[in-house]
Amino acid sequence: MECSFGLTGKDFVLLAADTSAGRSIIQMKDDENKIKALGPHIAMAYGGEAGDTNNFADFVDRNLRLYQIRNHTPLLPAAASAWIRRSLAESLRSRHPYSVNLMLAGFDITDSTSHLYWIDYLGTKAIVPYAAHGLGQYLALSTMDKWWTEGVDKREGIEILKKCVDEVGKRSTLKFKFNCILIDASGIHHINLDSSDPIAEMEQAGKAAEVINPNPPLDVGITA
Amino acid sequence: MAYQKARRYDSRTTIFSPEGRLYQVEYAMEAISHAGTVLAVMSKEGIAMAAEKKVTGKLLDLSLAPGGEGMGGVGTEAWGGGGEKIFLLNNNILAGLAGITSDANSLVNFARNSAQRHLFTYDEDIPVEMLVQRLCDMKQGYTQFGGLRPFGVALLYMGWDPLHGFQLYQSDPSGNYSGWKATCIGSNHSAATSLLKQDYKDDLSLEDARQLCLKVMSKTMDSTKLGSEKLEFATMTLHPTTRQPLAKIYRPSELDELLRKYELGGTKDDQIGAGEGSGGGGGQEGGNISLST
Amino acid sequence: MEYNGGSVVAMIGKDCVAIASDLRLGQQSVGVAMNFEKVFPVNDKLYYGLPGLATDVYTLREQLRFRVNMYRMKEEREITPKTFTHLLSSTLYEKRFGPYFLEPVVAGLTTPTELEPKPKPFISTMDTIGCITTPKDFAVAGTAQDKLYGMAEGLWEPDLEPEDLFETISQTLLNAVDRDALSGWGAIVHVITHDKVITRQLRSRMD
Repeated sequence: MECSFGLTGKDFVLLAADTSAGRSIIQMKDDENKIKALGPHIAMAYGGEAGDTNNFADFVDRNLRLYQIRNHTPLLPAAASAWIRRSLAESLRSRHPYSVNLMLAGFDITDSTSHLYWIDYLGTKAIVPYAAHGLGQYLALSTMDKWWTEGVDKREGIEILKKCVDEVGKRSTLKFKFNCILIDASGIHHINLDSSDPIAEMEQAGKAAEVINPNPPLDVGITA
Repeated sequence: MAYQKARRYDSRTTIFSPEGRLYQVEYAMEAISHAGTVLAVMSKEGIAMAAEKKVTGKLLDLSLAPGGEGMGGVGTEAWGGGGEKIFLLNNNILAGLAGITSDANSLVNFARNSAQRHLFTYDEDIPVEMLVQRLCDMKQGYTQFGGLRPFGVALLYMGWDPLHGFQLYQSDPSGNYSGWKATCIGSNHSAATSLLKQDYKDDLSLEDARQLCLKVMSKTMDSTKLGSEKLEFATMTLHPTTRQPLAKIYRPSELDELLRKYELGGTKDDQIGAGEGSGGGGGQEGGNISLST
Repeated sequence: MEYNGGSVVAMIGKDCVAIASDLRLGQQSVGVAMNFEKVFPVNDKLYYGLPGLATDVYTLREQLRFRVNMYRMKEEREITPKTFTHLLSSTLYEKRFGPYFLEPVVAGLTTPTELEPKPKPFISTMDTIGCITTPKDFAVAGTAQDKLYGMAEGLWEPDLEPEDLFETISQTLLNAVDRDALSGWGAIVHVITHDKVITRQLRSRMD
């Protein structure tokens, strides 16, 4: 059982994914990172069949990196979504289709817009202001329907996301922990949803990270 | 003696001469410097390009040929509006070609295919420099692999993409390419380049760019008066409302109007057949195409 | 077909045609997006709609865009509705033994030529493997197909002017999708005339 959320705002986009890994009713891990950064302003949350997920995420990651190396510029979110969608659509009608659902979030630096793409294992792509995969679809889409408005700011966005996480905690018998990131013009930031002031913490961490490591690796979130 | 020595390296594109030169590539470049001039000027609002057409003679039937009456158009119209020299490669990229026409046609076809493949894979217009690179990779291949002749074509590319805005590139048969603010290929290119260098300013408007383009063209070409029968003209701008790239290949009548405005010529009805530089626009008055070059 | 939901309808008028779709994208009963257009332009005289499996909507649309662009470059003219229908049909038949799950609808006007000075407005529709039907009145497809047939049968009449055609196709679509759980969530209508295309978004029951 998996669960992930995505939400756009005026100048940012949020992505959250649970950190559980297991099979049917058994949980084997509670710190699995299911969000991957694919470039300086683009990341995806993914889930689905174990094994397929990480393999496909690596495949996407390496291909987008290759594009960046060849062309001295990263793929913009819209173009990346098209490429990923086609990869899944072609895979669907191959002998061994990938069974991976994902949510792609990105910030387009050329026109300063945030993008969120809901993509499933069939290669279906929806361009949406907010979305969910897995259990979250049934439990928290209505929460987002109620609270999300055009042009929410970062603080409000995180509040809505927290409401979604709480809803899953309240209505599901499963207990999830969540990994969360925020992408804006300055790049990808880790968000601690348990913090009393996640934005202050993010800004603090951003400064610290810059000083310690000017070229941080592309992995974000908790990696076990 | 030197001539005889050189001959041994002449016929093979893939072999260096003892002086470290690739003769076939140099000859291809030489061929281009006799071709019709193509020049382009970039401004913040867009890019203008002019290309010289070599008129072959009055018996040539232009009614259905490229560059005939149907030439010109804006946006998607421009797909069918290509002339002899200026072509639309993609919605956001126009190219002017100098050199062997048949080689050019094959390159244009390759470029259009590449651009469509990119659109298919990424659902976005191909970035300008990427398309230039695709073509140059191909051109380079023909300077290295045995038994083949290099493409006898140089190109000017003008285009727009969201990452780098308006861009102007030039490429030659060796597969080298470079980016410019204003540049020229074909016959008299060195003279034209120095004229451009003199008059180019960083804050040109599109109107200035158009005028500079045609002014330099009129000084470079043999005849004193320009007309649509000897010239092709195109611009790449942004659509005023959608802010999407908008290619425009000028119709012969539009170009003549522009030339009259800048007092550089432009065919007028009463001047038909009156002297050099004036003639039937686009072959409409079949008997009056002047026999220049 | 029923996985993502969605419906398309096209109608013939007097020197005009109209084509419309709903905007819902679902994953079975869950609604995912309310901005999923299923009708796409080929040029300003020709549109087509692809109701069915959403992944194939994208795949086929991109495939057709590639082919139409190559056609436009090689032929140096726009593709006609009739030619496009056959292009679409053969593209579908290529996948005869693993078809796209789509039932396309095409609507367009043919530019008059010397050979055909008075062309009729054109609509066509086909099944998942490209078997063409060219109705004289209207074409419907998608999860609300049966309801659309009922509505269109009742409302359509010959030789409607553009504005009347707009009203007819809008009422047909809105009332049909209201009775279909898998279609709806807004609609978009295009009326194609010789001098312009009128595009309007409609709000419907948003539940």
